[in-house]
Formats: sequence, C-alpha cells, structure tokens
Amino acid sequence: MSLFSHTIRMLEQGLDYASLRQKVIANNIANVDTPNYKARDVQFRTELDRAIGSFEAKRTNPKHLPFLHTTDQKFFVTTRGNLVYNHNGNNVDIDQEMSNLAENQIYYNALVEQLNGKLTELKTVIKGGK
Amino acid sequence: MSIFQSLNITASALTAQRLRMDVISSNMANVDTTRARLVNGRWEPYRRKLVVMEPRQEGFATYLQAAMDRPDSVGSGVKVTKIVEDPSPFKLVYDPSHPDAGPDGYVRLPNVDPLKEMVDLIGATRSYEANVTVFNASKGMLMKALEIGK
Repeated sequence: MSLFSHTIRMLEQGLDYASLRQKVIANNIANVDTPNYKARDVQFRTELDRAIGSFEAKRTNPKHLPFLHTTDQKFFVTTRGNLVYNHNGNNVDIDQEMSNLAENQIYYNALVEQLNGKLTELKTVIKGGK
Repeated sequence: MSIFQSLNITASALTAQRLRMDVISSNMANVDTTRARLVNGRWEPYRRKLVVMEPRQEGFATYLQAAMDRPDSVGSGVKVTKIVEDPSPFKLVYDPSHPDAGPDGYVRLPNVDPLKEMVDLIGATRSYEANVTVFNASKGMLMKALEIGK
C-alpha cells in the first residue's frame, strides 16, 4: 500500500482540470468582442474512455482510426458552436462565462482545501498522533 | 503551457480593450475636425476609425496539436490586427460662413456619430471590467495553489 493514496491523484486531476478550465474561460471572456469567435469548453475524457475503452473498433483498413486514444490527456477542449447570440458571429455568453468563472474558482479552492486536509491527515499519521 | 497563461490571456484582452478606448477617444476628440488630410489641394474631414480584433493563437504548438490529435486548443487571448477607417459618407451641413465650405455652401463634417461612440465606449468599459474580474480570479487561484501542503 502506497503512502500517497489514490485520493491525492484524483485531486491532482481535478486541479489540472480546473486550471485548464480557467484558461478556457479567460480566453472566452478575452474574446467577448471578437467577431466570429466561438466559445470553448473543457470536457472530461475519463467517462468517455470508460464507456468505449472496453472494446475495439472493427477496422477493415489499417488507416482507420482506432477508438482508443493513446494519449493520456484526461480532458479535451471543445468548441461550443451550437448557438449564435450576436450579429457578428460571436457566441460568448458573458453571464454564463462569469458564473462559470465563479464556480470554477470555488471548485479549485475546495480541491486545494481537500488536498491540504489529506496532507494534514498524513502528517498526523507520520507523527503518530502527536 | 505555463501557469501564468491565464493571466497572459487576460492581459492581452486588457490591452486590446484599452486600444479600443483610445480609438474611441480619438473619434470623439475629432468629431468636428474638417482638416484631417489634404487630398488634391482640398481638405478632407476626419474619418471615424474602428479596430479589428482577432483571436490570438500560440503559433507552432497550436498547429501541431491541431494536426495531431486535439482539434481545439485553449488559445491565447485576443489581439487587434488593424485599425480601419469607416467608409461611410461624411455629414453635409449647410454653413457658407465656414472656412471649409464648398462653393455650394455645404461643409463636409466627419462621419463620427457621438451616440455610436458612447455605446462603444460603454461596451469597451464593461469588457475591460469583466477581464479585470477574470484576472483577479486567476490570481486568487494561483495564490491558493501556493497554500498546498502548508
């Protein structure tokens, strides 16, 4: 059994996700007045991988792409191209972005608190409860 | 991809919005300027200026990623690519006593509409404020990251 459990790795992934999301939100808000800019989003890839990871696509040609992604990238950036709000082709919804920003900040802070709690816990164990 | 990327993205937006405000100031300041440029011995009034904004890309790394696996990247903010002139016609005002009046008594005034400029100014201010909020949020997150393990 390892000292640093699965929890810390999970929290680390969450922090990675939150910081990538922060960059994407910052970029969306930076481009709020840019014509034809389409808002972006971050998706977790783990769920998708679990869903499709168990089987392999039938390939009749070696050039066909396999279902499995070889990269260990846990999340990916997508373009939100479904709605157009402005006359200039830009679909950044500033209210949505600002609320995403606040939510992401709280999420990040919560993860840091959790991580600190976990580390304090380990410290207590190492010191033998003293 | 550095940890300060989100701050850089926001900084590029702040720069762009400030430039937009500078252009609006210039338009407002020249709302009555009839002698901006001499064309064939005749004075041309000031033409309203507009900024052209474009998303800024990271360069080679972004194109490589796009070509390999990931179709989308985070992007790295916004940039003003050029400042263009509004081609709409000048305003004609009848004022024969004006030094720049034509033989028919009409003066050509700049195609600046103060109302449009004010609306643009409010837009630029609001965008600037939103980006300052993002900057503070990113800064708060980075400061929080320093607390890990304390």
